[in-house]
Amino acid sequence: MRNLFSRPRALATVAVVAALSATLAITRSSSASDHQDTPEVELSPRMDMNDVYAFPGASADRIVLVMTTSSPITPAQSASASFDPNLLYQFKIDNTGDGVEDKVIQVTFSGTGTSQQMTVRGPVAPTTTGTMNTVVSTGPSLTGAVNTNLGNAASLQAFAGIRDDPFFLDLEQFFRIVPDRKPVTGALSKLPDQPTASAFRPAGQAVDYLRGINALGIVLEMPTAMLTDGGTKKIGVWGTISR
Amino acid sequence: MPIRNRVLATLGALALIAVAGACNDDNNDVTSPQGDRVYVQVERLGNPLVSEVFLAKRNHGFHNAGKPSTDVANHAAELEAFVTTVAGRDAAVANTLATVLLPDMLIVQTDKATSSAGWLTWALANGYGGRKLTDDVVDAGLSAIFGNLLSPNNVSPGLTTDNVNQNDKPFLTTFPYLAAAN
Repeated sequence: MRNLFSRPRALATVAVVAALSATLAITRSSSASDHQDTPEVELSPRMDMNDVYAFPGASADRIVLVMTTSSPITPAQSASASFDPNLLYQFKIDNTGDGVEDKVIQVTFSGTGTSQQMTVRGPVAPTTTGTMNTVVSTGPSLTGAVNTNLGNAASLQAFAGIRDDPFFLDLEQFFRIVPDRKPVTGALSKLPDQPTASAFRPAGQAVDYLRGINALGIVLEMPTAMLTDGGTKKIGVWGTISR
Repeated sequence: MPIRNRVLATLGALALIAVAGACNDDNNDVTSPQGDRVYVQVERLGNPLVSEVFLAKRNHGFHNAGKPSTDVANHAAELEAFVTTVAGRDAAVANTLATVLLPDMLIVQTDKATSSAGWLTWALANGYGGRKLTDDVVDAGLSAIFGNLLSPNNVSPGLTTDNVNQNDKPFLTTFPYLAAAN
């Protein structure tokens, strides 16, 4: 591996993997596509969004939106895991191609633990676009307990609660390739300080580092027309967390 | 009124005002959202791996506090420079990646066949796009950056897949789709 540093392209390769693994881990034992990507969210896991998904629902005219936060949560930590009632979780949808949200779905929580309540507002036009937002004035679309399927399969459905982290990757091997990015605590911190690999492990030997790890998930399903309303059939979706 | 009683009455009135003030301090009641409370964005995510792979760590906060409409202006140059100078790929690969990943949103062509759903299929195959739970986005990203997904030149065969191709638990076929907690 050390030889790689004498070859510019290989060095570039190492740098890319380093960058890739940087946010896949950093501290503790995290990983995923956006886990713990700044010190601020790292120190406040409930602010840390891990992944966003958008895919077809139960029928061709329905769409599912998923946001995961707070990973890694171990099984032992899961009973007490809850969403932060001080935060505003949003899905934003651009349906006019300008990168500005035309619809928002706002999710908030009250209480803590297993008795926590979820409130969903929208899809609706936002009061303000951009990075400073207020809760829309329209009433809740759905309210109810976490860890419960809410809503109607013909309209809006919502679920929020502790689930298996859906992300998967061989994070340990990332740190064998680029050990300078390994965490300072936990099992992964005990990997050698010097590179001990220059490629990923072969199939059969590679290990999903997030096996058995949980995340807090928000899942919504609705008629796609609720998101394309007033715009085009081509939409852009992103998630935000605000405090 | 004797002076002592007047003082006591004044103190009592002040106390009442103080109590009333405290009771009216509803703006700190953050557990029930209010229309006048301004929430400030601290985290943002559209496409997986974008800020993690292409943007320097010091710029992640900048990306998190931003919005798609300014992504091209704020992040395209850094993304393209990373692909050409760090990953050693040609400008065409860099341009393609910047075009499909910025503005940083999951693009969904909702009028396309749902069978074509998957990360970046809207760009690669004029498909539905979005991102499925089963999508191996790490491999997709690695194959674009190191492999021949976008170009046959300057590939790094050992780094195009992490050989973890699916989740440890099967996803549900019905709502809420995410597998039960461990």
